[in-house]
Parts: sequence; structure tokens; C-alpha cells
Amino acid sequence: MKRDEIIEGVVLFLCGAGTVALSLQMPIGTFRMAGSGLFPLCLGIALMLLALLYLANLLFQKDAEPPSPKAAAASPGAAGQMMLFFGASALAVLCLNILGYPLTSFLLMLALLWILGIRQPVLLVSLPLLTAAGSYLLFVQFLRIPLPKGLIGL
Amino acid sequence: MVESLQQLLTGFGIAATITNLLYCLLGAVAGTLVGILPGLGPIAGIALLIPVTFGLNPTSAIIMLCGIYYGAMYGGSTTSILLNVPGETASVITCIDGYQMARKGRAGPALAICAIGSFTAGTLGLFGMVLLAPPLAQAALAFGPPEYFSLMVCGFIVLSNVTGGSLIKSLMMAVLGLIIGTVGLDPVTGEYRFTFDTTYLLSGIEFVAVAIGLFGIAEVLANVDQPLEKLEQSVIVPRFRDLYPSLQDLKASIGAILRGAGIGFGVGLIPGPAPVIATYASYMVEKRISEHPEAFGEGAIEGVAGPESANNAACQSAFIPLFVLGIPFAPPTAILLGALMIHGVVPGPMMITEHPDVFWGVIASMYIGNFILLLLNLPFIPFFASILRIPKKVLLPLVMLFCLTGMYTVNNSINDIWLMLLMGGLGYLMRKRAFDAAPLLLALVIGPKMEVAFRQSLMLSHGNFGVFFERPVSLTFLLATFLFLGLPAFRFMIRRLGAGARNEGGSG
Repeated sequence: MKRDEIIEGVVLFLCGAGTVALSLQMPIGTFRMAGSGLFPLCLGIALMLLALLYLANLLFQKDAEPPSPKAAAASPGAAGQMMLFFGASALAVLCLNILGYPLTSFLLMLALLWILGIRQPVLLVSLPLLTAAGSYLLFVQFLRIPLPKGLIGL
Repeated sequence: MVESLQQLLTGFGIAATITNLLYCLLGAVAGTLVGILPGLGPIAGIALLIPVTFGLNPTSAIIMLCGIYYGAMYGGSTTSILLNVPGETASVITCIDGYQMARKGRAGPALAICAIGSFTAGTLGLFGMVLLAPPLAQAALAFGPPEYFSLMVCGFIVLSNVTGGSLIKSLMMAVLGLIIGTVGLDPVTGEYRFTFDTTYLLSGIEFVAVAIGLFGIAEVLANVDQPLEKLEQSVIVPRFRDLYPSLQDLKASIGAILRGAGIGFGVGLIPGPAPVIATYASYMVEKRISEHPEAFGEGAIEGVAGPESANNAACQSAFIPLFVLGIPFAPPTAILLGALMIHGVVPGPMMITEHPDVFWGVIASMYIGNFILLLLNLPFIPFFASILRIPKKVLLPLVMLFCLTGMYTVNNSINDIWLMLLMGGLGYLMRKRAFDAAPLLLALVIGPKMEVAFRQSLMLSHGNFGVFFERPVSLTFLLATFLFLGLPAFRFMIRRLGAGARNEGGSG
């Protein structure tokens, strides 16, 4: 556990260091007439200091008890399910402009319901159909917000 | 004062005409619906519906747009409680206890207290506006950049103390949020920063994408990251008798509502993201004075009642600087300013004399609008709470789809959706590692204003940092900041000393 926390501290320290490095490429100016890089520079330094404080604090902490093997092995399939869910959503964003909103939303709902274990054919088809049609009517027809039309041109 | 009350009565006469009541109702309903949809908050709602008001007279148009504003604020609280998706920044704090209440099957009381608290705060705020607006607006005028900066620093420290997690972790998130907030155009010199030659980043990081990502998507992912059996088990089905608050709930909330209204009204007059600061300040006060501070974060009704009342009161009093000074201090009031100007009404010191019908009519309509929202929302609580009856296996894909769609509708940008998904992944990891997302989000909003205040202060003082300590109001905020910072350190030292003494006693 402590190893993970050290990694967190180091990552945040590096974020601060990166901000400092990028800020130094901008005009810093003086405190009287600050340049665009001064504020981010101060923030980068502040983040580095806080990360160091966080890491130093870890040194004084007692080691946490290791997680029980039961807890560590809990739900190995859930992480994969989450990754699939997230991946399907990202894929839908990729396809949005090509397939258009109604088709993409239908396919996305179908995929997400499938990933979450819904197998009843009626539910698996009717719910995505209703959602796609409903959201299309709400956003495009009622609120007049243009959504990607894609190949089907809706 | 008597004159103000007479004018207010005239305002009620204007706002209570059938036509204006209808537009107020339409605005409140549309606002509530818009606020409930993740991604569409009051800003998007008002912006989207401005064209609808083009054919109306200025008073009816502004009454309708104001209805959308507070309707959307209420709708935002509904999604915060039911789905842990804040419709706008001011609802972030409602998520903490509101969502916990919903998880325990108490979504109904949380929603009802929101409506009752908002109405009570609105009523008190109205009298506050009439009685105290002129002197308080004068006092708010005395705020210069050093005071703004110190206030915002104080706000961050208060905020970092709010959720009771690690202070260092919260501060790191706040600083990270401030860094993200520097992306885009430098607010003073107009130079581009951290844009990496991409056009998308020129206008900065889209706040809505970060908000939906860190809260909505992260919540969905955290829920999906459970075994399928657990997804079925965790469906909450509130019983009918649990849909409304009990007498005990009301007794527990009344103090929080009154204090929230007072805090919100005062903070609303101060330039800045008033509803946000007001909700956090109210939450902090409630937690500090509570006999059971450990219940906060676990579903304490005071943690919903206080901030929601503060939010409503701050929204109302934020109209004072808009109407009297013509300066909007928050994005929704900035859009309302645009709408006022479209309708030929120029806010400023002359507005009361030149457009008394608009000024007093709108103020009176706020009260009527709050009453309409109360009437509208209390009977619909079973309907809103029934959203929770939908199995999570169905609800989670629906929320994901509406987050994606809602995000796209803000700017019609696919890049915004990518940013939202990225932030969703980050929010999920932060959740796993016990990092609080609220300080990051708030810092992102306040960051640019804070930077401007910081740089203007130093320009005014010729680079002398003493400017933050020489001015009494600024010094007060900084002393409060040190107090808030010092308290956890003091408690930590006491604990250490106590532990040390026990160890010595044990070994001796």
C-alpha cells in the first residue's frame, strides 16, 4: 500500500516539476509586473512542495497492514467489465461522426447493457431503441441541438 | 425602506399577472428539466433558451430566464442527490451527504429538504434584498483585488477541510486544479499557455467536461467496477413513507436552513463564485457546530439543508451586483446580463429608476418562482426518487449515454467528450486512491479569477506582498486561513503528544 502512495507522491511531484519547466519557457516578469509564467511557476513549486511534504509524511507513518488475500483477490472480473464499459464508450465517441447520433447511441446502449449482463433479447433491443429515439427527440427535435448525423443523415 | 417595500408590492403586481406567472412556471419547469439532465446546467439552459424569449416583453423574458436559472439550480441538486452528478459547481457539496442519503434509501427526504430549504432561503433572501441591499452592495464595493485573493485562498483552505480526508491530498488537488485552470489564454496579457499548439486548448479547459468526468463518469465507472451480482443487489427501493422528511428531519434541518440562508445571502453579495463559496462555508459551519460531525459525509441531512439554502440565497443576492452595478460575478448572471441587454435593459445604478417594472418585477418573481418550485417539486419527489428503482444494470448505461450526449451539446465538440472521458478515468483513479475531486474542480473555476486578483494586487502594491496583510478585510481572511490551516496541525500535534505520553506511561 505504501508503495502505491509513494508512486502517487512521485507522480504529483513530477506534475509540479513539469509545470515549473513549462512555466520557465514563458515570460516570468517581476512581482510588480508579472509575466504569464509567474503564476503557474508558483503553482508548480507549491505542488512540488506539497508532494514532498506528502512523501515525507509517509516516512513517519506506520506500515499499513497488508490487505487480506480474500480482499486482494476480490472480483477479478469486475475490473475487466469496467474496462470493457469504458472502452465501448470511447469506441462510441470514435464512431459518433461516422455513424451519427441515433445509430451510435443505439449500439452503445446495446453494448453497455450486454457488458452489464443483460441477455433478454426483448430488453436488449427495446431499451436501446427507446433510449436512442427518446434522446434524439429530446435533443434534436425539442431542444433543437444539432447532433452528428453521420452516414444515415438523421 | 418603506419606499423599497412599496416598490416590491408594485413588483408583485407585475409578476403576478397571468402572463408573467405562466412564463415563470414555464421557466421553472424548463429549468428543472434542464438541470436534471447531466451536462446541461443553468448556464447551458439559459443560453439555449434565450432565443425563445425574443418575442416577449423584457419583464416577461427576464422572469422566464430567471425561472430557468433557479429551476436548473434545483434540478442540479436532484441529480447530485440521486446520481452523484452535480448539475453545476454549487451542487458539488450536495453530492457529499445527499448521495449518501440516497444510497441509504433517503433520497426523498433529501430532495424535500432541498425544496423546503431553497424556498425558506428564497423568502428570507427576498426581505434581505429589500432591507439590506443598498448598504451591503456598498460594502461589497470596498473589495479590491487583495481582498478577493485572500478570500479565495481562504475558500480553498475551508474547502480542503470540508470532506474530512487528508488535508495535504486536498491541497494537492486544489493546486492541480489551479494549474489546469491556467491552460489557455492568460487573463492579463492575453498570451497562450500550455496549449501545445492545439486549437482546442486555446479557450482553456472546459469546466463542464471536467465536472461530469470527475463526478458523473467516475461514479459510473466505480459502480461498474463491481461484480454483476452486487450491481443487482445495490438497487435502492425507497418505501413510500420514507419519501418525505420526518418531523425529526425537519427539526434537524431548520437551524441549518436559517444559517445557510444567512451565509448564502452575505456571500452572494461578494463578487466571485458566490454560490460555490456559500455552499462550502455553510457545510463547514454545520459540520463544525454539529454534535455529530462524524455523520457528515455519511448522509447527514444538515449537510444537504444548509448548503442548499445557502446556494439559493447566494443565487438571489448575486442579482444585487448584477442589477445595481451591472457587473456579473458568475457565469449564469453573465448570461442573464447578455439577455437583459438583448431586451434593451442596461443594468446599472439607473436601472431602478429607468426600468422599475423590470427590477422589482423580477425580484418579486424570484419569490413566486421559488414558491412554484416548491409546489412543483414536492409532489414530484416520488417520481424523481423512482429513478432509483431502475436497476443499476440499466441505469448506468443510461447515465453514461446522457453524460456523453449532454457533454456534446454544450459546445458541439467531440473533443469535449474525450476530455470528459479522460477526466472520468482520472476521477475513477482518484476515488480508488482516496483523493477528493471537489477541490480540483473548484480550483479550476476560481483559478483564473484568483490569478487576476493576485497579479492586480501585486501591480497595485508595486510587487509588495505586504498588500495582503495591510488591508483589514484581506488580513481577516488570511488570519481565518491560518486558523483553518493551523487547526488540523494543532490537532495532529495534540494526538502525537497524547500518544507519546501513553507510550511512555505504558513502557514505564
